[in-house]
Amino acid sequence: MDNSQLFFDFAPIWQARTLLLEGFGIAMFSAVAGIFFAILLGLIVALMRLSRYRALRAIAFTYTQLFRGVPLYVLVLWIYFGLVYAVGIDIPRIPSGIIALALLNSGYLSETFRSGILAVEKGQREAGEALGLRPWQVSRFIVLPQAGRIVVPPTGNQFVDAIKDSAILSIIGVPELMKVAQEQANMYYRPFEFYTVAGLLYLIAVIIVSKGISKLEQRLARFSRASKEASSGERRPSEVGG
Amino acid sequence: MDGYQYNWNVVWQSLPELRQGLIITLQVSIMGMSLAIVFGLLCAIGRLSQYGYIRKFSVAVIDFSRSIPLFVLLFWVYYGLSLKFSINLTAFQAGAIALGITGGAYMAEVFRGGINAVDFGQREAALAIGLTQSKAFNLVVLPQAIRIIVPQAVNVYVGLLKGATIVSVIGVADMIYVAQYISLNSFTPFEMYSAVGVAFIALTVSIAGLAFLLEAKLNKGRSRG
Repeated sequence: MDNSQLFFDFAPIWQARTLLLEGFGIAMFSAVAGIFFAILLGLIVALMRLSRYRALRAIAFTYTQLFRGVPLYVLVLWIYFGLVYAVGIDIPRIPSGIIALALLNSGYLSETFRSGILAVEKGQREAGEALGLRPWQVSRFIVLPQAGRIVVPPTGNQFVDAIKDSAILSIIGVPELMKVAQEQANMYYRPFEFYTVAGLLYLIAVIIVSKGISKLEQRLARFSRASKEASSGERRPSEVGG
Repeated sequence: MDGYQYNWNVVWQSLPELRQGLIITLQVSIMGMSLAIVFGLLCAIGRLSQYGYIRKFSVAVIDFSRSIPLFVLLFWVYYGLSLKFSINLTAFQAGAIALGITGGAYMAEVFRGGINAVDFGQREAALAIGLTQSKAFNLVVLPQAIRIIVPQAVNVYVGLLKGATIVSVIGVADMIYVAQYISLNSFTPFEMYSAVGVAFIALTVSIAGLAFLLEAKLNKGRSRG
């Protein structure tokens, strides 16, 4: 059958469905792993920025500026191609991509976490200390749980950005959705169809995650009056992904 | 690998080419931002429309454009659209269009947020003293909204500037493209990409700093409100 006349030829997409879904899986895995490490790093950097030692604050500030300023594309190239030559560490494609996503997002998340921690009312800490808790106990059981609720929506937005950004990993050959779409588009000479489908898959992922986050946000709001007031207010517009 | 010989000279020697590449990056991002402002304004006006279906359509367009990765949009415009509809776009044009679509969605939110942030009483007061609808908007609401819009628009631009780096993938000879082909010949990817990274960090940090100053300046006369 001659399909060349069809406006949207679905047949090649159907034939490549397993590959596309595998790519989609790798894209999601990279985004999840990237944001997971970004949260860990971001928390460490945020605590460093709130440290009483000036040196730690300075390091953390530089870190934040660095990874918020560098484009993901440059970071990915630098890690995958640059480091091999200069330092001799040969990091495979997928870990390289995850490291790049983690570093980039940790820069943004550290700022989110810092403002979340600062948003917890000072009286809470004082009350905890008055009850005889140690400083780490106050942080662990009183401040961080409340800050956690505040940072859920912006962290969710960052995860959405990480999903979108993961498409850039195709340039170093990570076999994620966009890479698969490129290969298949070239093979069938059907770029319009494959890139449309790739775009729709990202769209679906982003919509599901956004819906999930607003559900989670509502659930968390039930547990505290403070965060209900905070989260019903304006929501900081998220940044444009690189 | 025994002791890598750093060769920073390559960076200095290729400065003229890198600068040329940077100018192209700036051009693409400024073109993209211009499109984003037009597209964003249309979407924002659509969202504030009195007709329900125009509002719904605008919301859908905004959600759509900001949920699809810039990278996918770029390939969709450059390879997909051009083949399907036989439009011959240059790589530069495709890059600017993709940036315009992504940035437009963010700009729409910025415009809407800015206009909504102006107290409704301002508009009512303007209408009460006899200004027409359009005069009330242009003379009273807009000047106040601009204060909120400008700094956020600069932030969107910083995002687009970073996003613009991916146009080298479709062959625009921007700074990354230059860094790539020089490092292919001289085997110095570390030095070249470090230089490009530093250049971008310096650029984005200074633009963000500028936005901060601008915000402070624009907010100067605001304390009375």
